[in-house]
Parts: sequence; structure tokens; C-alpha cells
Amino acid sequence: MAISAATKAATDALAVNRAPVSVGAQEVHRWMQSFTWDFEKNRTKYSTKYKMANDTKEQFKLIAKEYARMESVKDERQFGSLQDVLTRVDAANRVHPKWNESMKVISNFLEVGEYNAIAGTGMLWDSATAPEQKNGYLGQVLDEIRHTNQCGYVNYYFAKQGQDAAGHNDARRTRAIGPLWKGMKRVFSDGFISGDAVECSINLQLVGEACFTNPLIVAVTEWACANGDEMTPTVFLSIETDELRHMANGYQTVVSIANDAAASKYLNTDLNNAFWTQQKYFTPVLGMMFEYGSHFKVEPWVKTWNRWVYEDWGGIWIGRLGKYGVQSPASLRDAKKDAYWAHHDLFLLAYALWPTGFFRLSLPTAQEAEWYEANYPGWYDMYGKVYDEWRARGCEDPNSGFLPLQWFIENNHPIYIDRVSQVPFCPSYCKGASTLRVLEFNGKKHSFSDQWGERMWLSEPERYECQNIFEQYEGRELSEVIAEGHGLRSDGKTLISQPHTNKDGKLWTLDDIKKINCVFSDPLKAL
Amino acid sequence: MPNIHDNPTRTEWVNKIAGLKTLAQGHAFLKDFRAKYVSVFKTDFSLELDWLWIELKIEEKVAVLKQAEFNDHQLLNVCTCGTDAQKVANESLAAMAACEDMYEAERIHINFRLACKPPVMPVNFFLDTDRQLGTKLMELRNTDYYALPLEELRKVRGVRVVTLQ
Repeated sequence: MAISAATKAATDALAVNRAPVSVGAQEVHRWMQSFTWDFEKNRTKYSTKYKMANDTKEQFKLIAKEYARMESVKDERQFGSLQDVLTRVDAANRVHPKWNESMKVISNFLEVGEYNAIAGTGMLWDSATAPEQKNGYLGQVLDEIRHTNQCGYVNYYFAKQGQDAAGHNDARRTRAIGPLWKGMKRVFSDGFISGDAVECSINLQLVGEACFTNPLIVAVTEWACANGDEMTPTVFLSIETDELRHMANGYQTVVSIANDAAASKYLNTDLNNAFWTQQKYFTPVLGMMFEYGSHFKVEPWVKTWNRWVYEDWGGIWIGRLGKYGVQSPASLRDAKKDAYWAHHDLFLLAYALWPTGFFRLSLPTAQEAEWYEANYPGWYDMYGKVYDEWRARGCEDPNSGFLPLQWFIENNHPIYIDRVSQVPFCPSYCKGASTLRVLEFNGKKHSFSDQWGERMWLSEPERYECQNIFEQYEGRELSEVIAEGHGLRSDGKTLISQPHTNKDGKLWTLDDIKKINCVFSDPLKAL
Repeated sequence: MPNIHDNPTRTEWVNKIAGLKTLAQGHAFLKDFRAKYVSVFKTDFSLELDWLWIELKIEEKVAVLKQAEFNDHQLLNVCTCGTDAQKVANESLAAMAACEDMYEAERIHINFRLACKPPVMPVNFFLDTDRQLGTKLMELRNTDYYALPLEELRKVRGVRVVTLQ
């Protein structure tokens, strides 16, 4: 069949110069960086006190289309596994009940961190002027949106498919009374999004992600597997594949300011404050969730902490940044002291305050007590015998009329809350490094548990005005506070939190709490 | 016992706020309230659990009165006390520019917020001024952060040591 002259001309031309059928992603990335967009006047709310270099590179060099294709494949695998295979084998009901409770805390809290990381990374995008560096932050913003949804989905899945949904669903409603919430907001919210964008990066990327991501997102998958949970590794390992990009962004953030004179003035101070802020909460809370929120143990938290926080991060990762003037935080040594006992101290208090939570706690079994004593010699004499006493007094039984909080009052061991980290501590009954420091400013008293937090408060007192539950509810009876703080299940009378995970055990109700007549008091008033 | 969200203290203040009829009254009321109950330098803690909620309610009322009394130009350029917003902002910025002491800078910034936080100053002036003041304060606070030992820092801050264990 004859063809037109035009078609013949086009065919002949293509025979000589073939039209490109595809363009390599890296080629597109190089082309995009050649745009001379003017970012010089960019800034976030507060201009960072550092100057970020305009020629900073990033390590992943992904274009958005390539990124989206990769992430959609990961999502298909993850949601496919959850909705098909894991649902059909009833995986959510095979999780050990203790670990089921831990995931109420871990995934709900991490969701808050991921959500704030969206904004924190957005601030960095606003502050940076180098196109490549911005491209790295863009990828992270998209990651954080994905992770927020993933964490929310973990709790949705557990609530829908698994055991004891209360607490997996709508945990936030207990945020005013739960003693772990305010400290979590300090690290996951305030630390990631308040003030100087580079300081936020140090909190989020250099400490939160490079230091605590391994213990939080990798170690949690090992503990989950050991305790029959196949959902968490499916989701959290998918999250972890993105975290490398975030660590690289943190590294490049430091590289971008390394030649700025401001770095020598501020960087190590910001790093030390960021590290102390993050570790003050994560060290005890993660250790507590892993060891006390599981039945089957993986390894002592102190070993995990030593390997990933002290050696890998404090030594190797920060060591690599040494050529840019970065030093290991001065507070790392104090943190190491805390890593041995702090989570044991915190669980003692968390169990004592169980009615204010949104998850169930349970006392260590005899088998677990042996494990603690073997790995933390001296554990029984300090903690184990107290748990034996509480158990003997019927702390799990609603008819006993005994709350462990009473034990602290009877034995004159007041519980304080650190003003800066919002982490509870009991200085007269602890093996960790906490020491009581109380300062009065304009007639109001503030308690602190360490020198680093005290200095942060003395330097910026208006940043740490958060009231704690003892100040907020002083003089109020516990059952009233629980009802007001939405700590009840859908029947309107049974507490979300419980002091045991026994399926056949009786559940505590508001009436059981009310008859004990436990009234909040502020220990600072007594000083 | 009344709960934390609905109590006689809040009711008492809601009634006081309802009595504000002019912008001049509202401005004076808000200014006095902030000075007494809101400042980080305050010495009266009687409203410690309720001041934030009450301040919000006063601000709501002042914003309504402002909308009723101000024309479009005033809404964008004039503080509720009647002063030119740019002039007020410039004074604070000049004071901060001349300041090299972190405690003085802290006073300038906190007092600016107490005096000007919207609806007192139009947001188009307030936010940018607040940003510039905050940026300088952060730099001053982070310089020589560990220069003073804690004992000295406590004295400079003016705190009383209740207990140190």
C-alpha cells in the first residue's frame, strides 16, 4: 500500500535518528538540578541561625516519579500481606496478649512522631537553598506522610482483626491523663518542630532517626516476631527501608552547615540538648515496652542500647561527622548510666499509675523474674520483691481494694515529674541516675531529675510550662479524673487500662476505683 | 467536684467578659489579664489551670469588638490601643537589635508577646516581628551555652533552691 509523502519523510528521518523511548531517572535528576531556581530568600518561620550551603548534594538522587513507583510497590506488598495472608491465618489473634498491649503504645506514639516529622522536614525544605538537598527533604516529607498512615493502620488492623481493641482505637482521648503522653509529645512533637529548623533536624534526623530508629523500628520487629506478631515486622520493616534516606538527610544537613562559622558556636550544644531530650524519654520507655511488654525475651535492653546508641551512633556515626566539628554529646556518659536501670524504674511507676493509661500492664511472671535477675543482678531485691508484695495484696483483682500507687504513699516514696522531659521519677526508690532537684521561680516550684534538663529549663523557662497530672488534678479523686479524661471503654464503666492481661481475669470498673478513694496530691506542695 | 473543663472560675470570668462593651474596655481588660496571669514572669498562680482558656475567651471578645469598631485600614494597620502597628513593631525591633544580653532579649520578646499578641496587633505585623525577635533571642541563648556553672546560672535566673539531692 502506498504511503503519503509526509509519512515517508518521517519514517526516513527516524531511521537515521531514533526517538528516545525512555530517559534514565538519574539523567532527569541531573537535568532538574540545572534549574536555577531562586531559593536564596527561603526561610521557615524562624530563620535558622546556621547558613546552609547552596551546593549541598544528597545521596539518594531519586526523582519524585521514581520514588512514587518504588513506594507503591512496597505498599502493595505490605497491605497485600496484611489484608490477605495474615488475615486468613488469623495472625492478630496469635499475638501474645502482653505484646498486643505494647503495640497500643508503640504504634500510636510513633504515628505522632511521623506526623510531626512531616512538618519538621518541611521546615528543612523551606530553609535549604541547594536544589539537591531540597530534593532529599522532599522524599522524606513524602515518606513521613506514608509512615503516619502506616502506623495508624497498624492500630486499625489490630483493633479490627485482633484481641482487646480498646486502646488500639482512639488512644488519643486519654492524652490528658496518661503519664507517658506528655513526655512523648516533648520528644516527638516539640523536639521535631519547634524553633530553629537545623536544631529540629538534629533532633529528628541526627538523633531521633540515626540514633533511636534502630532500637525503635528494627528491634521492635525482633521483639514482635518473638511474641507471635507478624503484622508489625511487615509494616515496620517497610518503614525502615525509608529511614536510611532520613539518616542521609541528617548527615547532609550537618555537611551543609559545616563551613559556616555558626556551626562551631552552636552545633555541639544543639546536639547535646537534642540527644538528652530524645534519650531521656526513649531510653526508659523503649526498654520498658520491650522487656515488660513481652513474654518472650530477645536480649536485655541494655545490650541493645549499648550496641546501637553507644557504639554505633555515639562512636561510629558521630565519629564520621567528627571531621565537620561534631563531637559525641557530653551527656552520652550519663545516658549510658541510665540505660541499665531507668526502664525498670519507669515500669514500677507505670504499673503504679496503671489506671491512667490506655493499655494493659502485667506483672512479671516467675519465669520472667528469673530472666531479669539473670540479666540485671540485683533486680529482685529492688523490684521483684515489690511486685511479689503487690501481687500478694491482690493488685490485679478489682475486689482487693488495692492500687500499687498506695504502696508509694504508705512507704513515703513521692513520685515527681521532671518538668523538662515530663518523665515521672521516684528519687527515693530508684536504681537509675535520677536525682531530685527542686527550684522555685516566682513562687512556683519545678522538679527536675538531672543536670541537663535543669540547664535547659534555666536557659528557656517559658518553653517548659507544661503542667503535670499531679498539678492538674491535685485534690481530685482518681475515678473522677479517669472519667473526665476518657479512660473508659465503650460500656462507659470499664477502664481501658487494666493491671493484667489475663483473658479470664476480672476487669476493673470505675466503681472499683471509686471505693478506694485515691486522691491526687502534688508532691511539690509538701516541700 | 466540678471538673476541669466546666468550673465556677471559668463561669465567673465568662460573666466578666460578657460585660465588655467597647474595644477600649476589651483592650485594657486583656492587657491587665495577661500581665497578671499569663506572663512567664507572673507571681499570681491562682488561675494556673484556667488562664489559657480564659485568655482565649477574652481574645475572642476583643476580636469581635475590634471588628465592630475598626474600618478596613485600621484592621490591617492599627493595634487595639489605637497605636500604629508598624511603629510598635519598629520599637521592639530596634530594642532587640541593640540588645546583646540574653536575659534582656528574653524580656523584650516575652513583653512584646504579652503586649501585642493578636487580636491586639494585626497578625500581618505581629507574626513577622515575633519571628525576627525570636530569631535573635535563639542566637543569644545558644551562644556560650555552658559558660556558667549551674550554681551561677540559678543565681542569674533568680531561682530559689528548694532541694538538691
